[in-house]
Amino acid sequence: MTATPSAPANHLCVVDDDEAVRRSLGLLLLSRGHAVQTFASGEDFLAGADLQRPGCAILDLRLGGMSGLEVFHALQAQDSPLVVVFLSGHGEIPMAVAAVQSGAFDWLEKPCHDERLLDTVGRALQRAGEIAARRQARQAAQALWDKLTPREMQVARLVAEGKPNKQIAQELAPLEQRTVETHRAHAFAKLGLANSHQLDRFLREHGL
Amino acid sequence: MRAPASGLRRVALWAAALGLALLLIGLAAAWAERREARLQADSVRRSMEVHALALRDAAGKYRHLPFTAGLHPDLRAALERPRDAAAQARANRYIAEVNREAGSDALYLIGADGVTRAASNWDTPQSFVGHSYANRPYFVDALAGRSGMFYGVGQTTGAPGLFLSAPVRSDSGAVRGVVTVKVSLHPQQAAWAYARDPILLSDARGLVFLSSVPGWLYHALRAVPPAEMDRMRSEQQYGPRPGFPALPWRVDREPGKPGESGEGGEAGYLVRTELGGKSRRFLAVDEPLPELGWTLTMLSDHAEVARAGERAWLLGTLAAAVLLLGGLYWQLRERRFAEQRNARRELELRVRERTQALDEAHAFRKAMEDSLLVGMRARDAEGRITYVNPAFCTMTGYAAEELLGRLPPYPYWHPDDVAQHWQHYEAMMRGEPALSGFESRLMHRGGREVITMVYTAPLVRADGTHAGWMSSVVDITEQKRAEQRQRQNDEQLQHAQRLASLGEMASTLAHELNQPLMALSNYASAAKAFAQQGRADLLADTLDETMAQAQRSAEIVRRIRGFVRQQTAGTEACAVDALVANALALVRGDMRQRGARAQVRIAPGLAPVRGDRVLLEQVLLNLIANALQAMEATPPQDRTVDIDAQACGGRLCIRVTDRGPGIPAALAEQVFAPFFTTKPAGLGLGLNICRTIAEAHRGRLSFADRPGGGTVFTLELETDAP
Repeated sequence: MTATPSAPANHLCVVDDDEAVRRSLGLLLLSRGHAVQTFASGEDFLAGADLQRPGCAILDLRLGGMSGLEVFHALQAQDSPLVVVFLSGHGEIPMAVAAVQSGAFDWLEKPCHDERLLDTVGRALQRAGEIAARRQARQAAQALWDKLTPREMQVARLVAEGKPNKQIAQELAPLEQRTVETHRAHAFAKLGLANSHQLDRFLREHGL
Repeated sequence: MRAPASGLRRVALWAAALGLALLLIGLAAAWAERREARLQADSVRRSMEVHALALRDAAGKYRHLPFTAGLHPDLRAALERPRDAAAQARANRYIAEVNREAGSDALYLIGADGVTRAASNWDTPQSFVGHSYANRPYFVDALAGRSGMFYGVGQTTGAPGLFLSAPVRSDSGAVRGVVTVKVSLHPQQAAWAYARDPILLSDARGLVFLSSVPGWLYHALRAVPPAEMDRMRSEQQYGPRPGFPALPWRVDREPGKPGESGEGGEAGYLVRTELGGKSRRFLAVDEPLPELGWTLTMLSDHAEVARAGERAWLLGTLAAAVLLLGGLYWQLRERRFAEQRNARRELELRVRERTQALDEAHAFRKAMEDSLLVGMRARDAEGRITYVNPAFCTMTGYAAEELLGRLPPYPYWHPDDVAQHWQHYEAMMRGEPALSGFESRLMHRGGREVITMVYTAPLVRADGTHAGWMSSVVDITEQKRAEQRQRQNDEQLQHAQRLASLGEMASTLAHELNQPLMALSNYASAAKAFAQQGRADLLADTLDETMAQAQRSAEIVRRIRGFVRQQTAGTEACAVDALVANALALVRGDMRQRGARAQVRIAPGLAPVRGDRVLLEQVLLNLIANALQAMEATPPQDRTVDIDAQACGGRLCIRVTDRGPGIPAALAEQVFAPFFTTKPAGLGLGLNICRTIAEAHRGRLSFADRPGGGTVFTLELETDAP
């Protein structure tokens, strides 16, 4: 919401309780032209970072307070668009795998090769961009949709299901078929759509 | 309720039986008496016949004498001419002659007027001549032309006799006189006196005129009617008697009926009378003599009959008594038989019950034995198997028939433990079985090893003699395996616990090392980028950071050693043999699994070492474990770890020697380096830490090749010198 529609998703956060790791990562990413916010704990991160801004969060699995997984779950709970990459230490591979399975983008084992690290971060940012675009489109669609009256929304949903006006009138009785036709025309006009197929796709794509 | 009733019935029965017996005895006695009476009567009658014959003879002998005599002319003449003395004399002489010849008492001729004309006793003072006998019946009869017979007392002589008379007829047939002969019956009477029993003769009127008992003479058997009495008086039959007293008899019984008396005629009757001052009873038998008009009565002592009755009674009673006794005996016998029968039946019942109980007990025992999981085996005194239960058969895999009668070696003995089995067997034969049981390894027929616990107890017969041995055999294979598993688990757990501190330390170390390594990598990468971008200031900073992280890594490795040193803080005197034994105990499971052995040689009298017992054991444990792992390719029979401890130059050397392939020279340099491992799962810290521990104890850990293959690790430690 705060992001401008055209803003690239290059927001990067590093959360690691080891200062050397945190700083070296920040420096490495900085050397590759990324702006990086670093946090020493999960709590700091959740409190201080803009969690709704698309981007990538690199989380150490083993943190002082909240664990990396707990932080990740907190992000999921807030429906954050941040793409998460985990850092795992010795013997934490199974935990990292579990994290990826529950929706994290990827994991990296410490110590890891810089190219692999940069590559992973790059792909994560790309994914973040996609997520940002989708969010934007959905917001636009929602804005259009919000212009419809409740009755028009009702009629539009039934139209999207491919039902003829007559049947819609029956289902929404005591609504006349002509009134349905009017609502239908208004909805198409407001949403800028031409037919019921487009309407169906519009509703599906934007989760309306 | 029942007993009294049956008692009453029994009493009634007994009474009835007694009554019946008495009745029978009575009947028998009566019969015997009657029979005796009849016999007696018969006998009396027989003897009476003799007497009757004598009487008839006496009468018959002279019957025709009067008639014959009357034919004599002299007698006729005497009658014809009453005044002719000569004729009279001739008649007298004749009569006397005849009388003498005939032997009669008297013979005399009576004229028609009743006066005697001639008599045989004419010349005696008692001469009948001149006496009139017109009143006498015999005269009356003869005068009427009949022959007369009359017994009476002589009017002249007063002597009794039998008078027989016949008429004397003239030529014309008219009766002119009567000839009478008098016969004395005295000889008969005299003969009666010799008879044992009284005899009496009575006339038609019932007057006794002859009797062996003088007192009974001229007594009446029955009352005489007065007319008869008058006549008798006139006839002077029994002399001048006013009357006839009744015979002192009491007839007890009517004479038996003729029909009953059988062949002997009347049975007689019972008479009670006094004789010789004694009251006696007689059986009287009458014998009528019709031709004479008399009745001969003979008495027989009734005592015989009574005795016969008594005898019969006695016999009957005796027989009854015998019967009773016999009955009692029979009853007793029956009762005894019944008792015996009952006893037998009861015995049979008990035997049956007992048999049933025995069968049940047997079935119970069998079910018990069959259900037992414990094997049971009985052997006789020679060790021959006499019994095995199904559990034992299952345990060994042999059928009972295959085992019964077998002597050792038994087929189920484990081939590896035969010596031990013999030992146990011989101990048992000596009578020293291990009562607390012993462990015994058996071989199932299928080749499976069965570990058992055997408990043996002597089998003693009921009479106390020793019959053999009973063993219970418990299969403890599973238990043993479980124990083994448990021990292995325990060992592994202990091992793991002992390694835990080291493992945890290693894990922490790895994680800690990863951080600076990660940072190092990042900084290096950043430095590379900055170098390319020509940003010298950032590059220098980054390189500084890089160096710092390298330092940090080194610091972490140092901390490991510090940690180990920290662990050796506690020191104590440790006996070498205990250290070795404890270390070996921890690898025993591993050793068994690998089929390896340990040979321990510890020199005697070694001084203890000072140090941390757990860490020193850990070193030994690691060395032994490494030795075992090194021998994985060694043939099983050669898998031996030699552990020997001895003093070496004031210090102590513990050598752990394996027979593995040895350490290649190329790797010898790295053996103690951190993170060096030949094992896929190894951390590579074992020997490194071992050496650290050894050094922490101011000792040394070194290794060398073993001659003939393998490696010798030597742990050198300071002794705890006093």
